[in-house]
Amino acid sequence: MSKENKVVYKEKINWKKEAALLPGYLIVIIWVLFTAAFLFWILGASLSTSREIFSGSVFKFESGFHFENYINAWNTGNVSVYFLNSLLYATVTCVFVILISAPAAYVLSRFTFLGNKGIKTSLVLAMSIPEVMIIMPIYSLTAQYHIRGRILLIILYILLRVPFTTTYLLNFFASLSRSYEEAAAIDGCTPAKTFWQIMLPLVQPAIVTVTIFNFMSVWNEFFMALIFATSTETTPVGVGLLQIVNSMKYTGNYGGLFASVIIVFLPTFLLYIFLSEKIIAGVTGGGVKG
Amino acid sequence: MKKNRIFIIGFILPCLLALFVMYLYPVVRTVAMSFFGIESVTSDVSNWTFNGIDNYIKIFTSPTFQRAMRNVLIIWIIGGIIILSIALLFAVILTSGIRFKKFFRAAIYMPNIISAVALATMWIQYIYNQDYGLLNQILSTLGLEGKNWLGTDMKFWAMLGAFCFGAVGYYMLIFINGIERIPADLGEAATIDGANKVQQFFQITLPLLRSIFKTNITFWSVNCLTFFLWSKMFSPVSTEASTVVPVVYLYDTVFGTVGNVQRDAGAGAAIGVVLAIIVGVIYFVMNKLLKDDDLEF
Repeated sequence: MSKENKVVYKEKINWKKEAALLPGYLIVIIWVLFTAAFLFWILGASLSTSREIFSGSVFKFESGFHFENYINAWNTGNVSVYFLNSLLYATVTCVFVILISAPAAYVLSRFTFLGNKGIKTSLVLAMSIPEVMIIMPIYSLTAQYHIRGRILLIILYILLRVPFTTTYLLNFFASLSRSYEEAAAIDGCTPAKTFWQIMLPLVQPAIVTVTIFNFMSVWNEFFMALIFATSTETTPVGVGLLQIVNSMKYTGNYGGLFASVIIVFLPTFLLYIFLSEKIIAGVTGGGVKG
Repeated sequence: MKKNRIFIIGFILPCLLALFVMYLYPVVRTVAMSFFGIESVTSDVSNWTFNGIDNYIKIFTSPTFQRAMRNVLIIWIIGGIIILSIALLFAVILTSGIRFKKFFRAAIYMPNIISAVALATMWIQYIYNQDYGLLNQILSTLGLEGKNWLGTDMKFWAMLGAFCFGAVGYYMLIFINGIERIPADLGEAATIDGANKVQQFFQITLPLLRSIFKTNITFWSVNCLTFFLWSKMFSPVSTEASTVVPVVYLYDTVFGTVGNVQRDAGAGAAIGVVLAIIVGVIYFVMNKLLKDDDLEF
């Protein structure tokens, strides 16, 4: 109610108030302009030749738009391999994490049993353990059992996302009314069936949010990939881009490099353009209890 | 009842297995490894030789590790001051009744959601480039001389600057969240009492943000200790003293570096344990601090 009043009130521009806010506007506008200028330059450079980039004439496009930078990066620069790997890792992880975490979050939030509290605490602890504490045993374990290739990274990413996803979903299941289960039980529905058909669809908004986070996290992951992606065929975008940068010294193909940067950057950026409100709400809602 | 038990076990088991395989077993084994002389990560337990705290002595007397800890300390203090003050400034501006708040908030947070490798590449290949880079162009427009930002003397600061730019948005979101939870009537009451905006900020907003500051400082500290990607991007091929951090040192110790095949998984594990202990201490201290002021509003 009061919020609506505020909106109406705001539509009349109060110049005195706006003037007082001017320094604030200036500071954020400069920061945002800097970000925008820098992204547009990268976009411009990705459509230019290396010579144009070096002579500082990126936005003139004297020799036209070089879309072939993208085609070359995609085909000969291995970007297609990295991109499809990341897409595979991220989507498979998102699906399996929900299949593991949602049932666990449900029973942890709805049933009392021995070890319930202990598991919840362990999940939170697992989220705060530095990754360097776990990589070495995982490395020797997977070498011992000859687990390698894409399946290795997929398994690792799924397991890495379980603590966060479970903890995130816990609160949402806890907030649901018990009357759903009671009604289902009266109708003779088994607990498992109640979960899959009634309770899981009810937390759909939370699942969407947590899946966005899981997707972005796997897409942007670097440390695990650096250690466990041992061949070009299994490398995701983060490490792939590092390899492109490292080989730049020999190829000198700057246009192709910036095209690769744009390709790597685009998927999460597009997600963000459409879902920024949801993502921002998720960051402050899930991460902070304060 | 029995049926219920099977249902609960079935639902929780995959999650428990994940915790065990991915966290419990590796952590226990890493702690054990830190007390043994182990050359390769993959060596069998039968090839481990117990050597007490030798691994810890080795890393603490290693000049590279000392340098790495010093670098992290500088990142923690200077980067922390820069990031938290800019984040707080932006949070105050965005909650002051500014127009297009949602747009600005989304734009400032944006670097956090894109691939950090892509972001670092943009900074290294564009902003800091000596020939056509944005920074040197700005300097030359101002009549100043450009610098080689990626030379040994400037590299650390270039890395820190680029990292700060990307990190500000996250801490800003948490500050905004904290400021928005302060009831508006506190500000109104202060205005009636004749307090101006600056007084209100220092007398009301800042004290009420104490717990938010603790959250931010905790996250920032943990973030610093596990700093890796930016260091790797700024020294991609071989590790350099100017940008080395503990996780990079660990990576090199465990997996070897270019031209140096000597590896020591035991020492690597010791670094991991030291970092984990510091993280634990940070959480503990921050929780203790938070306990004695349960500010509810």
